[in-house]
Amino acid sequence: MSRQYEIVYIFDSALDEGQVDERLAKFHALLQTPEHPEPVTATNHWGKRTLAYPIGRKETGYYVVVQFDAAADQLPEFERAIKLDESVLRHLVVLNEGVTTAAAVAAERDERDRDRERDRDAESDA
Amino acid sequence: MRGRKTCPVCEAGVRFVDYKDERTLSRFVTERGKILPSRLSGMCARHQRQVATAVKRARIIALLPFVKGFTG
Repeated sequence: MSRQYEIVYIFDSALDEGQVDERLAKFHALLQTPEHPEPVTATNHWGKRTLAYPIGRKETGYYVVVQFDAAADQLPEFERAIKLDESVLRHLVVLNEGVTTAAAVAAERDERDRDRERDRDAESDA
Repeated sequence: MRGRKTCPVCEAGVRFVDYKDERTLSRFVTERGKILPSRLSGMCARHQRQVATAVKRARIIALLPFVKGFTG
């Protein structure tokens, strides 16, 4: 069974965007299966940021947030590959429970606005 | 007797607490970076749990410090 996950990568900030994309492609190739040729649903490059505390000797990192679908038994191999890569300072995989893609967030906001409008209309009717 | 404070997360109408939103999360930690107890933040139990998990995740990805003002 496949589930939705979200991963945050922190790459060494010495890497340029091309090198980061190259590594992302390499990791994400491990998630591909015949049933799921396109596991990645959203990619968001935050770019260079200052870390809240130094990791190793590094004060800055290149952040990338990716949402993807995968089966649970694919994850150990995927994470092993990430851990072996020394240009990844840190990563975090979590289950994607909420809606965090930009489109979904916008949809939810619209829905809230509509609800509020309806409440207002109901009040003015009363 | 003071009245019970209302939960700031419920009031904002947020459905999920996002661990990537360190600006919002920083409201729920002390100056030193500890998680505020619900007795001070006024949060309901469900949101206190969600915020606590989110702060811990944010610390892992270096968006929030484990200890603020600590220099090795």
